[in-house]
Amino acid sequence: MSLRPYLTAFGLQWKIGLRYRIAVVAGLVAQMWFGAVTLMAYASVYHAAPDVQAPLSLRQAMTYTWIQQSLFTLLPLGCLPAIGDAARTGAIVYDLLRPVDMWNWWLSASLARLLGNAVPRAVLLTCVAGPLAMLVGLGAWSLAGPESLILAALALVSITLGALLSATIVMWWNILTARTLSPLGSYAVGTPLAVLLSGMLLPLPLYPDWIRPFLLAQPFAGITDIPIRIYLGTPIPGGIATGLGLQLFWLMALTLLGRLWMRQTVNRLEVQGA
Amino acid sequence: MQTPLSTSDAITVRNLRKTYRIREGGSWRGKTRDIVALDGISFSVPKGQIAGFIGPNGAGKSTAIKILSGILRPTSGEVQVNGLVPWTNRVAHVARIGVVFGQRTQLWWDLSVAEGLALLRDIYGVEPERFARNRARLADALDLGGIMDQSVRQLSLGQRMRAEIAASLIHDPEILILDEPTIGLDAPSKLAVRAFVDELCRDRGTTVLLTTHDMHDIEALAERVIVIGHGRILADSPFEDLRTTTLSERILELDFHDTPPELILPVGASETAREPHSLTITFDPHQIPAPALVAHIGHLPGLDDLRISRPSIDEIITRFYADHAA
Repeated sequence: MSLRPYLTAFGLQWKIGLRYRIAVVAGLVAQMWFGAVTLMAYASVYHAAPDVQAPLSLRQAMTYTWIQQSLFTLLPLGCLPAIGDAARTGAIVYDLLRPVDMWNWWLSASLARLLGNAVPRAVLLTCVAGPLAMLVGLGAWSLAGPESLILAALALVSITLGALLSATIVMWWNILTARTLSPLGSYAVGTPLAVLLSGMLLPLPLYPDWIRPFLLAQPFAGITDIPIRIYLGTPIPGGIATGLGLQLFWLMALTLLGRLWMRQTVNRLEVQGA
Repeated sequence: MQTPLSTSDAITVRNLRKTYRIREGGSWRGKTRDIVALDGISFSVPKGQIAGFIGPNGAGKSTAIKILSGILRPTSGEVQVNGLVPWTNRVAHVARIGVVFGQRTQLWWDLSVAEGLALLRDIYGVEPERFARNRARLADALDLGGIMDQSVRQLSLGQRMRAEIAASLIHDPEILILDEPTIGLDAPSKLAVRAFVDELCRDRGTTVLLTTHDMHDIEALAERVIVIGHGRILADSPFEDLRTTTLSERILELDFHDTPPELILPVGASETAREPHSLTITFDPHQIPAPALVAHIGHLPGLDDLRISRPSIDEIITRFYADHAA
């Protein structure tokens, strides 16, 4: 089996993601805004209750927020736009006409689209919220550097797994789109789930004690929350190995089940007609 | 007894049936009902032939095309395309066919035509040299030179269709399936598409299965026409045969500079329309040959002009559908 079709699909979506430069800038401004508002809210909450032993320090909460904001477009908010369009226009039949494994074909495209969107924003926002903020004297509000190089390296491994996991969840939205022939459902389900469960709305370590184990164990924690925890050096119950293990587990489980669902969906398209 | 399916044919179809199960009333508890889209059709297409596949809307054409393309699974029956069963060897099968759905686009809106073709090269694993050769040949034959670097979004419908056809042939498929390739095109674009398909078949021996509602496509291209209605094959013959068996009559139109006179016509001819300055006579050439009819009425006073024509292909096919209640 040749890898070339999948690399091609990756390259195409990567290019399309990069093509929207104005969206990158607009997104950056929006994320700076949300980040700043969130930070001010944390600051007032933390200062109002100095005696409470929070699971994250104020500095950690700020860094968590900046990284989370910079990775916003890495979240699986809905299906791959190209698949949504193809489902609506009926061009999705052409995907069945290609001599490729459909799961890998869509997965490479979905991953590329996430990275093409997220990488430029992440690099820019990290520079602005990190070194640049420190230079202009906003160090107390900035994105703090890593605790150690080892943690930084592990966080990089973890965010790679997170990106793969996110693309795999996008595959579920893609299949949903292929079944319903509309991308709307995937966004209606995907956006709130991803924003809430990834820790984008509120860092997962700041939820009440009783719910935290469940939040850590669900798949969306593996996209950005676990990598950020590793970066910050905040303890994950069971250690870093548990964090990486959870990511791998969800990656495999969602791939296996997703492939089954995909086969069933393709069968249904083949039986009922697209 | 079942004989093995022939291997010299590009496409072989035997007793193909497809029923769709639909739910009535739309609710999930509604009763289901089976709709028969294909009711046991059989035909084969030898290598290198252009076969027209026609029928009214809802006749089962699209269903048959989808099954042959490998994207729909039949309820029962046998199909071989290039010796492969489309729905069991999907990946191997689709690598060897080209498909154009006239109402859908396979190129990428965000990309230029050239980028789209390069993408298809990678998908189909076409070697660089062969790709360069095919690209140059298709660009030349389909007049794509000026639009190669334009994004698909900016193309006119005619330009896009030519690009779509190029896209379906970049991997040298042995079989080309065209589903309404001329829909919505202006006359020059239609002629260009027809000329190209004709040449493709003659020069490269590509087998073409063509469905269309434009009977001029069929007349210009198809050596043979398969008419489908109610999920069955109603006719499978050269188009000329369909004409002779369906509507062999001819039409004689006469123009006068005064009121047309009353005529006594020979057996087999009859007056079908009378206007202030013209007459239309319909006749059966088997009963009264055209020269005899013209000789019979040739020296009428006040006759300016006369024309003999055959019914249009659209009239023939309309009559055929009506005769078969299709």
